[in-house]
Amino acid sequence: MSSTASPALHVNGLRAEWVRTWAFACRNVIMARRNVFFVFELTFWPGVAMLSHGLLTQFLALTPEMTAFILSGTVALSAVQVCQLDVAYAVLFDIWSKSMKHQFLAPVGIRHLALGSWLVGVARGLVVFALMAFIGTRAFGFDFLGGGAGSLAAFLAGCFLCALVIGLLVCTLVLLFGTRAETSAWAAVNLVVMLAGIYYPISVLPGWVAAISAAIPLTYFLDAFRAGYGFESQFSAPLIKGFALALLYVALAHWALAAAITRARRTGLLLKLSE
Amino acid sequence: MLAVDARDLSKTFRAGWLHRRRTEALRGVSLQVPRGAIFGLLGPNGAGKTTLLSILATLLLPDSGSATVLGLDVVRDSLALRRRLNMASGNASFVWSLRPGEVLMFYGRLYGLSGRSLRRRVEELIEGCELTSHRRTEYNELSTGLKQRLAFAKALLNDPEVLFLDEPTLGLDPDMSIRIRAQIARLRRDRGTTIILTTHYMREAEELCDEIAFIKGGRILAQGGPDALKRQIRLGEVITLRLDPLEPAGLASLPGVLEYRIRDEHLECTVDVADKRLPELLRWLHEQGVVVRQCEVREPDLEEVFVELNR
Repeated sequence: MSSTASPALHVNGLRAEWVRTWAFACRNVIMARRNVFFVFELTFWPGVAMLSHGLLTQFLALTPEMTAFILSGTVALSAVQVCQLDVAYAVLFDIWSKSMKHQFLAPVGIRHLALGSWLVGVARGLVVFALMAFIGTRAFGFDFLGGGAGSLAAFLAGCFLCALVIGLLVCTLVLLFGTRAETSAWAAVNLVVMLAGIYYPISVLPGWVAAISAAIPLTYFLDAFRAGYGFESQFSAPLIKGFALALLYVALAHWALAAAITRARRTGLLLKLSE
Repeated sequence: MLAVDARDLSKTFRAGWLHRRRTEALRGVSLQVPRGAIFGLLGPNGAGKTTLLSILATLLLPDSGSATVLGLDVVRDSLALRRRLNMASGNASFVWSLRPGEVLMFYGRLYGLSGRSLRRRVEELIEGCELTSHRRTEYNELSTGLKQRLAFAKALLNDPEVLFLDEPTLGLDPDMSIRIRAQIARLRRDRGTTIILTTHYMREAEELCDEIAFIKGGRILAQGGPDALKRQIRLGEVITLRLDPLEPAGLASLPGVLEYRIRDEHLECTVDVADKRLPELLRWLHEQGVVVRQCEVREPDLEEVFVELNR
């Protein structure tokens, strides 16, 4: 074994911020390329969801507008699910491989792991959307641009911001409760989209549940997107409210994850997750 | 100048929701390590070695007390400190489906390395740690020795000023252990790296460490250089004799004889000062008509110090 020491050329400032962020993005890409499970996440489940829901709309002989209402919910669920999983993977990969301490031994911040993994999540979410749009258009005549390109872009951006919040919350839960909480990576998003009115307007929900729905940004993004297909909006300025809420939750989730990491350092969970 | 200055560190782990179990891992540990030293932490399982190392490496927050590494507080200045330290452990693990180069690239980027300097550094470490022929092998398919070499390579990515090694040769074959030890010694010699290691191998500690601390039950029981420790513990010196008859009666009552035992057909007699007691002992044996076929004086080794402290 020869001596390996040599002066390392570290970069600083904004470049270093980007390099650390890019590290998480690269790792997620490698893992996504190498694992057949990820291909299922990306193609199989979204494809099955679009086909089964599309067929359901045909069986029920729904109007093109109602079909758009249902299938926009299907797209929201799949895009948010895939994107938030990537954010959660930033912590879950290390949980599964018991390598958590190495990541937090390095000079990284939550912004690096969140942004890096989210960028890959957005890319994978866009692939999911493209696949679903292709199936939806070809098989069921669903025009995703029916509400305009701007409406679609805002809808997808909103979905991905919600995914970031959910992914950060999953990371927080895992760092608070350990491996017991890892199922939240798959469960949390289903609860959120159910409350956000995935296949129905939130007006059908009981009053107190609707109040919770009004605190979820995805509710507003679905509402705004569906308004482009002629459905009356239930909120004034839904996009502004949606983005404002989403950004607020991103900040809160960031703070919650930082607090969870500090707690894990105090309780020793960070080490326990590496044993 | 001190690389590590820890004062009165305490840490208690709590487990369970209703009936909380408390485990006092550290009870007021103070420790000073000069820059450029190799410092060993020895102690039985559960003594608090890894807890202490983890606090110094900013992975764990102490309940009370304070510690600085390279003059930076391990709690308040943890982010700045992490750029300048690193850690490897004998039971390290990395993401299973990544290859050695990918593991090093990932952590290299976390330490702010990029582009050509990152690639060069990774290549240096892969070659230096003899991982070249395994660069296409996924982590979960590497042998224990290769995994440890990779952990060691990862710990050198940022050219750390302080390196924490938690049982770095655990489970390695003797050949690889020797090479890892040589690399540790070379790091200090060439780079002036301060190295703090935990180990169960006394020979390793004796060979590498300038100073050693024995820790048990969360307390440091003794600290000093290997030779100083042996003197401090007052184990005495061992006179090994091959006698005929093997065990003469009345030996234990001789002045200066602390204890004796028979091992491998030899009598091991521990005395307070060998220079003074050896002539007396030989004279007494002669008077008893005992034939002395072989005689040897040695200092106790670190293992005996460890056993003594662990009692």
